[in-house]
Amino acid sequence: MTGTGGEERPRGRAPYLLALPTWVILGVFFLVPLVLVLVVSFAERGTYGGIKPIENLTTHITSGAFLGNYLRSFDPLYLKIFWRSLWLAVVTTLACLVISYPIAYWIAVLAPARFKNLLLGLVVVPFWTSFLIRTYAWMLILRSEGLVNTVLTSLGLISQPLDLLYHEPAVLLGLIYGELPFMILPLYASLEKLDLSLIDAAQDLGASPVASFFRVTVPMTMPGILAGVVLVFIPSLGQFVVSDLLGGAKSVLVGNLIQNQFSVARNKPFGAALAFELMAVVLLLLLLYAYHARKSGKETLL
Amino acid sequence: MKHRALAALALASLALLASACSRPAPTADSAPAAPAATGKLNLYIWSAYLPQDVIDDFTKRTGIAVNVDLYDSNEALLEKLQSGVAGYDLVFPSDYMVRTLITEKLIQPLDHGQLPLLAKHYDPRLLDQKFDPKNRHSVPYVWGTTGLGWNKAKVTATVDSWSVLFDPANKGRILMLDDMREAFAVALKSMGKSLNERDPAVLAQAAEKLKAQKKLVKTYNSGDFANILAAGDVDFAHGYNGQIAEAVAAAPDTLAYILPKEGGTIWLDSVCLTTAAQNVASAYAFLNFIMEPEINARIVNGTHYASANLAAKPLIDPKITADPAIYPSDEVIDRCEFLEDLGELTTKLDEYWTEIKAE
Amino acid sequence: MKLRGSEPRSWERRLLGAHSVLVFLFLWAPILVLVAFSFNRGKQTAVWQGFTLDWYEKLLANEQLLAAVKNSLIAATLTTVVATVVGTLVALALGRYRFRGSGFTQVLLYLPIILPEIVIGAALVTFFGVVGWRLSLGTVVLGHIVFSTSYVAIVVRARLSGFDRSLEEAALDLGARPLEVFRRVTLPLIRPGILAGALLVFTLSIDDYVVTSFVAGVGATTLPIQIYSMLKVGVTPEVNAVSTLLLLVTIVLIVAAQRLQQKPTGTGRSS
Repeated sequence: MTGTGGEERPRGRAPYLLALPTWVILGVFFLVPLVLVLVVSFAERGTYGGIKPIENLTTHITSGAFLGNYLRSFDPLYLKIFWRSLWLAVVTTLACLVISYPIAYWIAVLAPARFKNLLLGLVVVPFWTSFLIRTYAWMLILRSEGLVNTVLTSLGLISQPLDLLYHEPAVLLGLIYGELPFMILPLYASLEKLDLSLIDAAQDLGASPVASFFRVTVPMTMPGILAGVVLVFIPSLGQFVVSDLLGGAKSVLVGNLIQNQFSVARNKPFGAALAFELMAVVLLLLLLYAYHARKSGKETLL
Repeated sequence: MKHRALAALALASLALLASACSRPAPTADSAPAAPAATGKLNLYIWSAYLPQDVIDDFTKRTGIAVNVDLYDSNEALLEKLQSGVAGYDLVFPSDYMVRTLITEKLIQPLDHGQLPLLAKHYDPRLLDQKFDPKNRHSVPYVWGTTGLGWNKAKVTATVDSWSVLFDPANKGRILMLDDMREAFAVALKSMGKSLNERDPAVLAQAAEKLKAQKKLVKTYNSGDFANILAAGDVDFAHGYNGQIAEAVAAAPDTLAYILPKEGGTIWLDSVCLTTAAQNVASAYAFLNFIMEPEINARIVNGTHYASANLAAKPLIDPKITADPAIYPSDEVIDRCEFLEDLGELTTKLDEYWTEIKAE
Repeated sequence: MKLRGSEPRSWERRLLGAHSVLVFLFLWAPILVLVAFSFNRGKQTAVWQGFTLDWYEKLLANEQLLAAVKNSLIAATLTTVVATVVGTLVALALGRYRFRGSGFTQVLLYLPIILPEIVIGAALVTFFGVVGWRLSLGTVVLGHIVFSTSYVAIVVRARLSGFDRSLEEAALDLGARPLEVFRRVTLPLIRPGILAGALLVFTLSIDDYVVTSFVAGVGATTLPIQIYSMLKVGVTPEVNAVSTLLLLVTIVLIVAAQRLQQKPTGTGRSS
């Protein structure tokens, strides 16, 4: 919770009224459906897809069959896939943060005030075109006779076209590209209220620009950083279309795995179990962080 | 309470939305089975499967307004119909999905008395298939094959076999469909087996074959394969005939499409009437309309997919009927098989496929 | 407001400016390519074959595609309005009050982001089936609100943290009505957060495919559904053309809004 801010407000009904629409929407249209899927995750696949009717609930539970999908997911094959997805998501998040902070700072602090909204528009508008068509455009840029290779060859920088497409760097590029606005915008919202007089004060007191950046600017914008990290890291953990198109579909990510269970494999129970495990892992990470942050008295979103 | 007004506003907007959503519900419950003409028809169909002028002419002739919504996979179609609240009358599932929809009772038997043109005009070779004996539930719409596109300018040897897709000499020049069943079909066919093989040992062998093949594959892709082949990024592309045929037609000197001698997949998309259909009379009117040879020929001319309607064939653009990629010879069709749902084995195949991809 | 000593030295300013230009180039590179290819002759989209306006002509005759664009715009607009209001309200609740259930509310907000969209879609369509709601554009909007409200809540909540309450208190002490205080004091302070959140929601909604493909009903085919369904037969440059036109309209609207915004009193940084 906010560490500063003086005395507690009289509570009254205000927070409940403010949260009520969210509770209603997410309660009815998210939690209730989610429970349906949770139940499915304890079932078994029917012979031709669908869900096998449970004949005897007691034996289904006592025999441990209801955990079958969860146990199956601990196969090294699936653990390997999970690690790879996690790794890609971490790299994507870090890269997005490093790329986004300077531009968010520039838009929020340095650019003329009247152009701010225009610049924000320039950040998001590319993402209002179809994801698929944008990814196809990246394929055109990266392919062996594509834009990048043509330019580099004509500049005489390379003699052989670089093999860019259908490899891991292309996947990372696609992931970072797709998630950038989800880092830039929260950072912007946080940087926009940066109190420059504090930075002045720090520098007046003899702090170097680097020190004042890490000691003053970063801590003050920590809420924005955390929001951006959350909004990039979590969705990129479930991404898979980018890696299919730009990576040549030569690897499997958690997203593919779950998607396949809901489509070709027609194994909803297993897909649901995988999704809930993913959810549990991410929630655990968030809670661990919140616990740690609260203990050390830092600003936290949770 | 200063935020009460805002909260109330949000609640009000929610309530409005909820009522907007639930409004059509009463019509969903009161399913009038009486086949009275409703003046409406809701189609759920693949993209670019029905030329707009055919729809317009149907509406002009019958006064029935047609609504067209699109799906991108048989599984998406299944999911929609299973929800029971989709509201579509006619759907266009592929062969194996027709079987599933029948099992799940999501499509209803057709009244053949109302469809006299089916027996009269349609190719008996594409009727009465295993997935729907006697076509009790389906009318064939368009069909095609899954074969091999290749670049004649870059490949000098004759290509007539799937074996080129497993030849180390072709490393980095191969595109495979990103489709579990189609990939296994290639491996099984090149082993001389049926693409619906159920022997676990044989399937394991096929999986090994595909795993070894992965090093040679430049990309797995099910959407853009013809473009990637046409651009010269790969020299061999495993793919559906429709898109490759179009690419070949645009560059006949460099590209070619064949159905390898070992055989491959044939697919047939059919028209089916959903169990929940509310515009049954309109649906029959539409079925009869598209079965007319002249209309059927216009569908083929517009979509470049082969039709099972023999009476329509003479009316189709000869460039299309002469194209072996679209209308293959009978001998080629004989080498093809429909994919069947493998039941429990699907889970095993999915595990193999995941292993291959995760390698 | 005038920046003082903290104003970065000019080389720093230039470095940040150059970085920003590069990032903008990166963001727009594929867009420029897709616009260029909307004028490409030939259906094969990988190689440049000469200039044509054919795809625009075909597009204008393609009723299905245009209807899909309309559906997408309606859904994205409705979603943005509702999700932004709801998300902002819950962010206010979380950001300024301790209340029973706040921990639960926060977890509740994270869940839709964590859960893969396909699970949300499958869960929702099952739910609509159980309660018997006919699938429509309305169910699409509901689905979009479900997964996008959290984005607004998280961004606005971040903006609110460290929020100085004394301004509001002062205004209340001076006898201003609560709603007036909200409009005059609170709202201007969190406006950048709301704007950022709303932009993200619109971005998510206009291009959502997975959830939409589950919950769209009769007459509710959106542009992403249309485009993905074209995969089987090949995506034509008509889609590039429609993207280009939409882009053009967006840019015109943004520039117009910019003009309008500049006319009245220039509201600068509010820190």
